[in-house]
Amino acid sequence: MIDGSLFDLSASTTKFLILSSLLFVIGVGGVLARRNIIVIFMSIELILNAVNINFIAFTRHWQVLGKINEHTGELFTIFVITVAAAEAAIGLGIVVSLYRNRETVAVDEIDLLKW
Amino acid sequence: MVLTGAAAWFFWAFALIALIAGLFTVLSRSAVHSAVCLMTTLFATAGLFLLLGAEFVMGVQILVYVGGVVVLFLFVIMLVNVREERLENARLFSRQWLIAAICATVLGLAMWFGIRLADPYQNLRAEIPPAEATEAKTNPQGATPVSKNSETLAWSLYTQAALPFEIASLLLLVAILGSVLLARTSRQERIDERSVFRD
Amino acid sequence: MLKLLFLVPTLPLIGAILNGLFGRRFRFSERTVAAIACGTTGLSLLIAIGAIIDYSRSLAPTLYRNTAFAYTWFDGGLARTVTGSVRQFRVEWIYQLDPLAAVMMFIVTFVGFLIHVFSVGYMSGEGGYYRFFSFLNLFMFMMLVLVLASNFTMMFVGWEGVGLCSYLLIGFYFERDEAAYASKKAFITNRIGDMGFLLGVFGVFALFGTLDFGELAEVFRSGGAASYVESLGQWGVMSWIALGLFVGAAGKSAQIPLFVWLPDAMAGPTPVSALIHAATMVTAGVYLLARVNYIFAAAPSAMVVVAIIGALTALLGAAIGLTQNDIKKVLAYSTVSQLGLMFLACGVGAFTAAIFHVFTHAFFKAQLFLGSGSVIHSLHHEQDMRKMGGLKKYLPKTHWTMIASWLAICGVIPFAGFFSKDEILHRTFLNGKVLYAIAIVASFLTAFYMTRLMAMTFWAPERFDHQPHESPPIMWIPLAILGVLALVAGWVGIPHALGGSNNFAAWLEPILIKTAANTEVHEASSSIELSLMLVSLLVALAGILLARWIYLKRPEVADSLSETAAGVPYRMSLNKFYVDEAYNVFPIGATLRTSEVLMQVDARGVDGLANGSARLTQIGSSISNWLDKYVVDLLVNLQGWLVRAGSVVLRSVQTGLVQNYALLMVLGLIAFVVYLIAAR
Repeated sequence: MIDGSLFDLSASTTKFLILSSLLFVIGVGGVLARRNIIVIFMSIELILNAVNINFIAFTRHWQVLGKINEHTGELFTIFVITVAAAEAAIGLGIVVSLYRNRETVAVDEIDLLKW
Repeated sequence: MVLTGAAAWFFWAFALIALIAGLFTVLSRSAVHSAVCLMTTLFATAGLFLLLGAEFVMGVQILVYVGGVVVLFLFVIMLVNVREERLENARLFSRQWLIAAICATVLGLAMWFGIRLADPYQNLRAEIPPAEATEAKTNPQGATPVSKNSETLAWSLYTQAALPFEIASLLLLVAILGSVLLARTSRQERIDERSVFRD
Repeated sequence: MLKLLFLVPTLPLIGAILNGLFGRRFRFSERTVAAIACGTTGLSLLIAIGAIIDYSRSLAPTLYRNTAFAYTWFDGGLARTVTGSVRQFRVEWIYQLDPLAAVMMFIVTFVGFLIHVFSVGYMSGEGGYYRFFSFLNLFMFMMLVLVLASNFTMMFVGWEGVGLCSYLLIGFYFERDEAAYASKKAFITNRIGDMGFLLGVFGVFALFGTLDFGELAEVFRSGGAASYVESLGQWGVMSWIALGLFVGAAGKSAQIPLFVWLPDAMAGPTPVSALIHAATMVTAGVYLLARVNYIFAAAPSAMVVVAIIGALTALLGAAIGLTQNDIKKVLAYSTVSQLGLMFLACGVGAFTAAIFHVFTHAFFKAQLFLGSGSVIHSLHHEQDMRKMGGLKKYLPKTHWTMIASWLAICGVIPFAGFFSKDEILHRTFLNGKVLYAIAIVASFLTAFYMTRLMAMTFWAPERFDHQPHESPPIMWIPLAILGVLALVAGWVGIPHALGGSNNFAAWLEPILIKTAANTEVHEASSSIELSLMLVSLLVALAGILLARWIYLKRPEVADSLSETAAGVPYRMSLNKFYVDEAYNVFPIGATLRTSEVLMQVDARGVDGLANGSARLTQIGSSISNWLDKYVVDLLVNLQGWLVRAGSVVLRSVQTGLVQNYALLMVLGLIAFVVYLIAAR
């Protein structure tokens, strides 16, 4: 990292992007690595969150560059949140059903579709 | 866009909180801890939204995400995890944790390269236009004027994104119905069946 | 009538076909069968007589060819002889008539007809009646083809045909082992002779390029064969040809060494013995020699061979016939002996005398056979003479007719046999004293054993079991006719010495072609001839009286002779000089052993090869099998195994764990991101 973008104390859009990607990566690691399905869901929320940060950062970026009425990113974020909420509701409903049937929330143990 | 001065400090604070909380979300042994850490991350993110001038979205984030989704998570943890915590002192991570870590790292590196390849920071370092700065200075009472963000956002929402808006409401309806059906107990299902057949 | 000559052989053929094909199917009654058979033969006889009369009046002695219903059998191209001359080769089926053929035709049809009539009575009540007459008619056809043939090929057809009919008729009682064996023996022995015949014919063809008798006669008459004529002591190609033809004749006419079938042939019905083995078929050999007398005349060395064998056969036949107890066997050996005399005559160049003896012999021998048939029939098929005797009283007609034939065969004047036999003896005397001596001894023995036969059968004291009965008219009338002929038939050939004009010889004269060799006819003086006649009469008388004395007055002499010093010759004679046994060892035994060896070659060698190839095929197919199982199936199974192995590997992707699928999605995402970055 030769250029001073990381050691620069001002927060540019780049920094927001880096933050967003880090959160995203953490979330992906959580989805892939954890056994508890609730925690996996939370990791998914992290991912979505990271994406929201990305959107808002770019909204501001374009607004600063000239487009006063640019709200696309925000709109997108609103819809992401909406969908995340709906998805969480359904997903957790599935988790509850799953728990009632299998008595477990560890994804490792739910392998009926194994070959 | 560049945030300078105090905004930069807040940025760093919120950013670090979000990152660390996110890390803990993924690495906590207890699911409740993970939920609380998630909440923290979401709060930090809300702060970042505020810094970026998206007040409405910040409000929506806190109300819906934190107040709805995380609470929902906590309820479900309560329903399913109680036994889980005591009985299982087993593994935290699945057997593919190593590959997962490697993939995450690779993904991160790839995205890092992607960011680096973007237009080298000139564009991303654009100064805030003087118009906004002027507007901030022309208010002598010291009262901060109400941000026009919600207004303009509303205009965009109901004009540009009217269709997605309606679809989103439909989606929510379906989600409600779906979650009610999914979460029914078998006793409830039998009662319903009997009432159906009696017709 | 001459134009109807073709009907003479054809009518019996029609009768044979009718009886043979339809006799069983339509269940002809005995009367129908007899009517067809005798009717056709009788009609044929009438036409024959008419033709002969016609011929003698108009065309004799030139050759007559009956062109009605003639056809060309082979039409070959040009035949080249060994000398290089070229001739158009054609074989035609056309009947010819010349003096010799006329005589033979008369004998065959006349005696044949009488025997047909006799058989109607003799064979009545036997099974296979229609078959018997069908074969008998077929025989008539074949014999007439032989006699009326105009070329060697046609004659060979008849030659083989009479052999076939002989086989069929000897083996008439085919359920009996001895009959089956005898018929087989006759046919095979005949065939051995035929080999010689064919070699002779091939030689004729090679030298002269033609098989036609008329053309051959022309060649010899015009001196075209002068280069081949040999003198005594030379043995050239002509002698070989003559020898070949003689071997054929020896087979057919039962000469040494091919006579063994004739005694065994007595297993057939008696009429068959009479017709085929006394009067007609066995004389075919003599006919052949007379027909191509010019070939023999051109080969004096071969003629010597013929004469010697004829004489020896005459002696041997008589010697064996001396002691036989079966009446038919005696007559069979008698036939062998008389045929020997005929060949002796041919051998010394007296072809007309030989044919004359054929003529007379046909009548008295047929009569003797039919008479014996009558005796056998009346004694309910008893054939052993030791069980006969005193039949003079019971079978008068048979007895008196047989007296005529007996005197004829012994050569007593004025019966027929005297004249013909005497002419033979006369000509033999002129050509070789040793041969004459042998012939005289044979005549003595003939007189002896024939008298013995008559004595034991008719004059000796009765020794039979059943009451005999005389034969019906249908049987004794032919006997009577033949008996009369046995008396008068010789009168057509009364020699000059006795005042006759020898019409027979004059009639046959034209068929002889005089070449340098046989032109020398020793015209002896009448005195020699008369004295020779006297000698033969005395010899005959001696034989008769001796036999009469032994068998009538002192029967015990015969028995004692057979036990004492004369016992050895007696046993030799009784056992036919062990000729059959010798043949069983040498030609027959050798052939059988050779065929066994060859069978081993076939079983081991040929079959070994066949089995070996089968084994190779087996091995090949088992290799193929192995290839299929381990190579082809390996490949096929390998594919299946690969798919399974691959699937075992690949299905581990389906873990059923959602997180693994998520991992895969992330990997895809990474790839996508990397691509996007790299595409920048």
